[in-house]
Amino acid sequence: MSRRNRGAAGTTFVNNVRGPTSALTSFLNERGIRRANPAPAPPVATPPENQDDNEDNDDDEPASPPNHTASSSSSSTPAPATSSRPTRTARLTRGRNLPARSTGVSQSNEADGVDDGSDSSDSDEDDDSDSDNKNLIPIAISASTTRAVRTTRSRVAVVVASSSSSNAVASSSTAKAKAAASKKRPRKKDASDDSDDEDFHDITGHITRSNFSHKGRMPQGSNKIVFCSRCRARFTIKAGTTPAVDEDDGGLLCPTCAGTESPGPSKNALPKAKPVKRARRKAQKAEIECQIPSLQDLCIQKIANSIEDVEAFGDISDLSLDKICKIISRNRSLNADTLQLFLDSRHNELTLYDCTDITAVGLQNIAQFCPNLRSLKLKLCGRITNEVMDYYIEHLTKLTSLMLIGPILILEHTYITLFETIGERFEKFELKGSSRFSLKAIKALCDSCPNITHLRLGDCNLMDDEWLEPIAGLTKLKSLRIRNPEPDKLTTPAVVKLIQVVGSGLEELELKGCNGLTDEVLVDAIRPCCVRVERLNLSGCEELTTDGVEALFKEWSVNPGLAYVNLENCVMLKDEALMAVTEHSGDRLEELNLSGMDELTKDALRTLTRCVNLIELDASWVRAMDDDTMEQLVDAAPRLAKVTVWGDHRLTECCSSRKGLRVVGREGDYVDLRFL
Amino acid sequence: MSESEYVTLESSDGFQFVIHREVAMLSGTVKNMLSSPGHFTESTEGVIQFRDIKAIILEKVCQYWYYKARHLNSVTEIPHFEIEPEYALETLMAADFLDT
Repeated sequence: MSRRNRGAAGTTFVNNVRGPTSALTSFLNERGIRRANPAPAPPVATPPENQDDNEDNDDDEPASPPNHTASSSSSSTPAPATSSRPTRTARLTRGRNLPARSTGVSQSNEADGVDDGSDSSDSDEDDDSDSDNKNLIPIAISASTTRAVRTTRSRVAVVVASSSSSNAVASSSTAKAKAAASKKRPRKKDASDDSDDEDFHDITGHITRSNFSHKGRMPQGSNKIVFCSRCRARFTIKAGTTPAVDEDDGGLLCPTCAGTESPGPSKNALPKAKPVKRARRKAQKAEIECQIPSLQDLCIQKIANSIEDVEAFGDISDLSLDKICKIISRNRSLNADTLQLFLDSRHNELTLYDCTDITAVGLQNIAQFCPNLRSLKLKLCGRITNEVMDYYIEHLTKLTSLMLIGPILILEHTYITLFETIGERFEKFELKGSSRFSLKAIKALCDSCPNITHLRLGDCNLMDDEWLEPIAGLTKLKSLRIRNPEPDKLTTPAVVKLIQVVGSGLEELELKGCNGLTDEVLVDAIRPCCVRVERLNLSGCEELTTDGVEALFKEWSVNPGLAYVNLENCVMLKDEALMAVTEHSGDRLEELNLSGMDELTKDALRTLTRCVNLIELDASWVRAMDDDTMEQLVDAAPRLAKVTVWGDHRLTECCSSRKGLRVVGREGDYVDLRFL
Repeated sequence: MSESEYVTLESSDGFQFVIHREVAMLSGTVKNMLSSPGHFTESTEGVIQFRDIKAIILEKVCQYWYYKARHLNSVTEIPHFEIEPEYALETLMAADFLDT
């Protein structure tokens, strides 16, 4: 039946091919009934075609499937619809009939067929045979090719038949786009039922039909359907892609065959879509995952929600409490309410890691609930006011150690009152990020609190050379940290003078970020004076040279050796500097930071094997660091617990490691930043 | 040695929890322990000892893992995971350690 369809279509388009129905066409022509004739009304035009069907069925297809009758009866139903448009008569009916017969039951296909017919009928109405001929001949393929193709198709016909309905939809969707480009697309509707046709052609031997229909359905601007020269399978060439070519005979290869041999461009084009999809799915999964809160969140929420309940559990050790405080601070859940958890009169020490959300009243509560505090550390305490500090001064009568980070509201006079009140009791003072702390305040500190042992001043904008003079009066100073002064505010002579006075007592010296300091500090101050220094931090002192560092460590016999050396971002230092350090402090060194010392080579890094007690090493951005050096180091230093190697691209995942040693920042490793 | 379907988690007071490996893998810390490249006891034998997590807390954590595994891809409304307030703090510490 579908063969007859083709016949009806084919005879009109290709004159020199005579199919089973071409006889009928000529008969009709003789009778003066022309399909392109707009005159006959649809009801008139359709009956002859339906008669065709029946005749053909009887003649050629005695074994035609039973659904043919159903489809032919269904094909008659669209006829009344088209009758409302008398201009597209015969052609329309035919167009409608074709898909209906071929796909039989599919309603959607039928509709598609109608669309195709109506789209194309305008152009074809006048003289179908002539214009169709012209268009078809150029794309006709040789009989031999067709035969080969046809046999292939017959093999795959069963498979394709099942997908023919989807084909029909696809082809019809492209129909409109192509209508503008070429007039002759009516065949396209044949494409949808072609797969059914092929079986019949094979049986009946009417090869030429397939030739015609195949050509006609060849889409021009979009996807092409071709046959693999190797496996003979039908496949689609997507618009804008080039299929793989068989090297043997120059034929086209389907993606499967191309994949087994050499990946063609079209093959590359295909799998690209997948990762995107997968990534999207992953993102969706992550979204879903986010809906389940983490256990930590649940707990914190629980604690935050029921502070009054949690408050009763004071048995937790100070260490655990501190841990919880850290966690809570990190989750930004530390506020005036949760703060209550950490306040207890038995506490001697209190550290709050993030006071951002704690109000002034909350901060004041600290002194109220913890009157016995000896050490108070408040980080990010931007909301602490002069009144609160005055309250502290009044109530924290045992305070010996105070750390304030970011107390931007506290004024000079409050500091002065604080120092004068605490007086000789005061031992440790750390201040970071205050632009109000002035020369007067530091003078008050040094005058009133002679027992200060730890003084740490960082990011104080007003700091300059003059500050160092009063600090020199702190004779009990053990730890001095001066961090990140304003550029050029601290000069080498002033620092040299300070260290020459207090240096003999210092156990820790930090001059981080004092980038104006030169070698004189090392040679004239640190080398002769700092006999007890164990921890030395010179990070960010960019002016230091290899000669200076070498001179310090090579002739620093008064100092038995350092446990901590930080030369981070001393960018000018070369091999000799590190060699001098390892030679001097070698077996005492426990922590070493070489981050950013780009000039180092393997020769110097090899001397790290002298540091047998090394526990922590930061060798980030030391490009010469490689697996070999690492292995030697790991062998030499049994206590080594952490090595930071950000940006050391020569270290591979093969570099040696062992239990208890954490290598952070290795390329290719997955690192959870929260564990750093 | 082929990987067992189960892993054993041992609490500080000696209780052992035998749970599915893939469920335990929901914890970043446990996952690292079980899949670290070296031949550690944890990864070879599938037994992990937590010296500072009590049984009652570890049980809660295991319950949470199963709760999470069960509702990971569910589209329906997820029931609330109940934590007793008296254990919230310790569970929080354990959860922080276990990256859960």
